[in-house]
Amino acid sequence: MAVPFLEVEALTKSFGGLRAVDNVHFRMEQKEIVGLIGPNGAGKTTLLRLLTGILKPDSGSVRFKGKQIIGMKTWDIVNLGVACTFQNMRPFRRLPIIANVMVSCLSPRAMKRGEWVKVVEAKAMDALEFAGISDMALEKASTLSQGDLKRLEVARAVATEPDLLLLDEPFGGLSPAETDLMAKSIRRLHKGGRFGRLHSEGPAMIIVEHKLQQLMKIVDRIIVLNFGTLLAEGTPEEVVNNPRVIEAYLGQGGGQ
Amino acid sequence: MVNAGFYLKRFYTIVRGEVLVLPSRIIVALFFIILLGLPLVSQNPYLIRVVILTSIFAILAASWDLLSGFTGQMNFGHALFFGVGAYTSALLNIHLQISPWGGVPLGAVAAVLAGLIVGIPCLRLKGTYLALTTMAFPIILMGIVFALPDLTGGELGISGLRRLSNSLLGNYYIHVVAMLTLCTIMWKITDSHTGIIFHAIREDELAVRASGINTTRYKLLAFCLSGLFAGLSGGLYAHYMRIAGPSTLEVSMSFSVVIWAVFGGLATIYGPVAAVFILFPLLEFVRFWPEYRALIFAVIVLIILLYMPEGLIHWVRDKIEKECPRCKIRNVATRNTCRICTAALD
Repeated sequence: MAVPFLEVEALTKSFGGLRAVDNVHFRMEQKEIVGLIGPNGAGKTTLLRLLTGILKPDSGSVRFKGKQIIGMKTWDIVNLGVACTFQNMRPFRRLPIIANVMVSCLSPRAMKRGEWVKVVEAKAMDALEFAGISDMALEKASTLSQGDLKRLEVARAVATEPDLLLLDEPFGGLSPAETDLMAKSIRRLHKGGRFGRLHSEGPAMIIVEHKLQQLMKIVDRIIVLNFGTLLAEGTPEEVVNNPRVIEAYLGQGGGQ
Repeated sequence: MVNAGFYLKRFYTIVRGEVLVLPSRIIVALFFIILLGLPLVSQNPYLIRVVILTSIFAILAASWDLLSGFTGQMNFGHALFFGVGAYTSALLNIHLQISPWGGVPLGAVAAVLAGLIVGIPCLRLKGTYLALTTMAFPIILMGIVFALPDLTGGELGISGLRRLSNSLLGNYYIHVVAMLTLCTIMWKITDSHTGIIFHAIREDELAVRASGINTTRYKLLAFCLSGLFAGLSGGLYAHYMRIAGPSTLEVSMSFSVVIWAVFGGLATIYGPVAAVFILFPLLEFVRFWPEYRALIFAVIVLIILLYMPEGLIHWVRDKIEKECPRCKIRNVATRNTCRICTAALD
């Protein structure tokens, strides 16, 4: 039997009395794009943080390529090939944008791929080029707009050349035009190939997003969380027509 | 002769293109030249002594900046590394008759170990808690020093150490060249990729971890590097003053370092060095007015920090240089267009 790419089993995390993530199970295939949706406070961000080891779960297991990653340090998980972005962007504000990305390029995972990627500056530049903010490479990160910070987050995650990319609200705060651009970047990344010195093998992705219209166009499958539990799972059409999902989003009788 | 002329011309071209274009670089070059040429002008023992002590403390202040200015790990107990370096090389010199040339590096190694001992328990601490915890370590060591008077000399310290050199000029050049070399090395470290990671850890440690960088390793590295340079300066101090006493571990020593670094400008390396070279001689020269010394010191520091919150060096640098808005290359403030990309400077 083939080893599943990502296997989450009985993952649980409580903050005090609140069960933020409650007994969540799901699986992912290689190169699959999964949308993770749910009302506010459903535990989406917490779930992503559990996957990257920023938070430690109370119980449950996460196997990435057959390897248990619960209990591993965040940087080890990232070097295994799981990269994430932050919902509330966390750039290094007083550093130039290129230096923000260079930190990712200096991670062991990014450095091990041959001698020629060790020109860290050039590779960071290619990551910025991919995200579409290379013209601002020397500006301080504190001068960026919300949309550009989102792109910086994506550039930083992509620079580690992940196999599994966790995007936390990549369209949050973006204008419609910027959203289209970002969606295009994500699709381009998923197709794989070379972006200068940056190499993409078409990572699997989990995308947390509230802009459902945009999200539906990208994803293969959607997982719905509500109050920390798995509410529904399926293709975009199935999920949109699922009465329980409509109820969770709009309240009782919202579907009629 | 033809060859010499050729190289001289080439040297001049490089100097003109790389050094003379920016006032800050001219200042650094002048600083090197003045320090190395000072004995040609004056061999006043008092002046030489002040410059040597200033150099030693410049290394110390820069090493604090390497740890706290860059990685943001506020260390309020930097005297620990200084004291460990001083006591180790002093003990080796007195009890084992090891020459200062071996003792000072061994003292630095001991300070690196001290860096590890402080760094490991402090890995999980941040901000104020880290500052308070680090402050405790030199006090603990001072307790140990007082508890073992046979070994450490107690309050009197270990005196009668050998100097690195017996001549005035020898001592001067050893300390000044050591300072210039060590500070250049520190500056190079912070200018490298490692320096970028240090900066990033100060800005947002969680984001650095999520970029796949082992922050524990880099924080310990910062503690060890800082300990290394502070330990070297401690060893140099002990052998120059010919005494390693508990004053090297005092809380006031830790805080002087912090004040110097903040005064000069954090996360620059050259800022703290410049600050020590301004403040330390100033303190020495108002010695004839001893009761107001601390007051004058406090007033100067307060005024500077009030009007130049980023530190003296940043303020001066912004006055004499402008950054090109397009290519971020620095230019003399008198220029109207950028020297590289010819964009208009506002």
